[in-house]
Amino acid sequence: MSIETPAAQAGPFAHEPVSISRTMGLVMLALLPATVFGLWQFGWPAIYLFAATIASALVFEAMSLRVAGKPVRPFLLDGSALLTGWLLAMTLPPWAPWWIGVVGSFMAIVIAKQVFGGIGQNLFNPAMVARVALLIAFPLEMTSFVVPTPLFSAEAPGLLQGLAITFGGQGFDAFSGATVLGHVRTELGQGHELSVILPGLFGPLSGALGTVAGSLGETSALLLLLGGLLLLYKRIITWHIPLAMLATVAILATLLHLYDPERYAGALYHLVSGATLLGAFFIATDLVTSPVSARGQILFGVGCGLLVYVIRTWTSYPEGVAFAVMLMNACTPLIDHYVKPRIYGRDRKGSPIEYADDAGVSR
Amino acid sequence: MTDSDTKQGTPWGRIARDGIWSNNVILSQSLALCPTLAVTGTATNGLGMGLATTAVLTVSNVLVSLIRGAVTPEVRIPVYIVVIATLVTLVDLGLNAYAHELHKVLGLFIALIVVNCAILGRAESFASKNRVLPAALDGLMMGLGFTITLVVLGGVREIFGTGTLFAGASQLLGQAMSFLELTLIPDYRGFLIAILPPGGFLALGFLLAAKRVIDARAADAAKRRATVAAAIG
Amino acid sequence: MSDVAWSNFKQGIGYQGLLLGFTVAAAATLLVVADRLTREPIALRHAEDMNASLAEVIPASLHDNDLLANSVTLTDASGEPVTVYRALSGHQVTALAYQVKAFGYAGEIDVMLGLAADGKILGVRVLSHKETPGLGDKIEVGKADWVRAFEGRSLGDPPAERWGVKKDGGDFDQFSGATITPRGVVRGIKGGLEFFAANRDALTATVVIQRREDRAGAIQPSHP
Repeated sequence: MSIETPAAQAGPFAHEPVSISRTMGLVMLALLPATVFGLWQFGWPAIYLFAATIASALVFEAMSLRVAGKPVRPFLLDGSALLTGWLLAMTLPPWAPWWIGVVGSFMAIVIAKQVFGGIGQNLFNPAMVARVALLIAFPLEMTSFVVPTPLFSAEAPGLLQGLAITFGGQGFDAFSGATVLGHVRTELGQGHELSVILPGLFGPLSGALGTVAGSLGETSALLLLLGGLLLLYKRIITWHIPLAMLATVAILATLLHLYDPERYAGALYHLVSGATLLGAFFIATDLVTSPVSARGQILFGVGCGLLVYVIRTWTSYPEGVAFAVMLMNACTPLIDHYVKPRIYGRDRKGSPIEYADDAGVSR
Repeated sequence: MTDSDTKQGTPWGRIARDGIWSNNVILSQSLALCPTLAVTGTATNGLGMGLATTAVLTVSNVLVSLIRGAVTPEVRIPVYIVVIATLVTLVDLGLNAYAHELHKVLGLFIALIVVNCAILGRAESFASKNRVLPAALDGLMMGLGFTITLVVLGGVREIFGTGTLFAGASQLLGQAMSFLELTLIPDYRGFLIAILPPGGFLALGFLLAAKRVIDARAADAAKRRATVAAAIG
Repeated sequence: MSDVAWSNFKQGIGYQGLLLGFTVAAAATLLVVADRLTREPIALRHAEDMNASLAEVIPASLHDNDLLANSVTLTDASGEPVTVYRALSGHQVTALAYQVKAFGYAGEIDVMLGLAADGKILGVRVLSHKETPGLGDKIEVGKADWVRAFEGRSLGDPPAERWGVKKDGGDFDQFSGATITPRGVVRGIKGGLEFFAANRDALTATVVIQRREDRAGAIQPSHP
């Protein structure tokens, strides 16, 4: 059964060509530079993991749609499952074994998305649910990062060696390296001071370019920023959430850095490290799980930024973007309840706007 | 469940079916979720918690039914609570003295049986309105349904989480039952989240869904049978 | 009494009070009886638990006394009381054991530390912890042999600056994926050894007082 739109007979019918698949496609386009960079930088194992995660996301989507008795093809081809798998893969340690990607896809697609009713119904960002579940379930695999070994460089694992790492469970201790956030956290815990830790480990240039250990697609701040700007330009997202989130992190980091530069790193460090930019532009802005109104979005972004900074600085996890976004996802219905968009023709409280000329008529 | 369904069978059968399946404490009433989620890291823990609760539930139902003529509605809640709290304390002391290993595992949660709403719920809705024998059977069957659910939940989480089943069962049931302790997946790396609290919620969600599916299938089959019967008759 | 009068009486405050009072009295009686009956077995179980964990860190061949009976309580550097169980062979102190606290990833870790009279570690066992299963729980002897690495060590072996995990330039392994837990345990044990060094004389002095089996009352040397 299909519902047919009555054919337009006359009149100026303007049409904005917005569809789910166009939105998803543009987001993927925006992700492409950072992804390609990540895949190049971390080599074959990262490419295999990326493929395994996305393929399994599509398989789980098809299976769930089948179980739920929904049409498989249109939902599968709208690109949402592809994007979820893609975003998830970007946040994984690049040399993680294949089953990390598959279990993650299961958590994202089946548990976080389809159980809630499919596209548009989920309360939490599916990729972040999977990221958090994996971190809790497999803390070892999810914190084993590697130093960058660009594709075709001498020490990079080849085609077959990559297979052995992703699918064969071969260890890679020789390549292991901590993320900047993780390393700084450990050293601070040891009572060392930032002026001792940071030099040689973190420079604004390496952080911005992304030639550091980290998750598959999170390292290159510049390319993620480029993608974010494309999304803003194409009006897929508005500036409210990213700006509010990044500004909150930056302001907090600056204030505390001024208070004690040996314990609290500055704004630039927090902005280019970890998943800050990926989170601000691609994850927190998820249309389904963020508030509707502009004011609500600013509130949401500030909350995300605040939680990211608090989690990174004072809890036992070195990185907190996934937790922060999920916690704020949980607040979204509350925000939407209190910060409602104004209904056309009514004021914010919902009562009709009275105009001078019809005031007499309505009374 | 339609009316004709519930009227089938003897009251005894109905009490049993209510307790174990159609009115199951966890799967249908959604009561007692706190102990359910907290202790079911392994099937053995689920079994221990289930049996302790069953004992308290049965005895409390009997006592409440015995004194139902004397208790007035105004003071019934304090009276029931005192009865239940006393029973729980007795179970706690008894386990500590005579099943110490189990007490070490369940110790924290036994005190929670007092606030297990299933027990007060059965006292209110069944025992205080029925004779002793049906009340005892109701307590036993509700407890059994609770126990089975906890064991299934614990078993699922244990298999996914650690690859074993009924680990430590001999501490609970004695050496004779050590054959229950299985290692299903040798050298399993463990799916940690299954035995952590979130895994409890996930597994419970899937169990609830499974019960809905089974009930829906059964209702479908019954309807089909009725149609066929009507067509023939 | 007629039915009506009875039901009127049941509505009255006096009846309700009597009912509550009777229920509570009955419950209290039951509980007192049960407590009396189970007090001894429960104390016995707790003693068994303690003995079992002490036996893990002090070999039975080292002593001929009841470890629980010959304990002393001292205060550590932070003023907390520490109960030290002493293994005696005749009147000679051959070994001691006490609990030390370590701080891991998820909170306190209780460790039983057994020392020979010369300060060498006989054994270390983790009594309780809240570390992440599958990661930090390798400190349990049932999960890994890690805690056995302490056996035979003492405060000077390795030297003080190498009493740490390898990541911090020390001698002890950390676990892959978990540094905080082993670091905490190593620190806790080092603290326990320092406690022994500070109280060595009081703890290892030949026990000239009658052994506990022969008399009532605990041995309570004055605090150093």
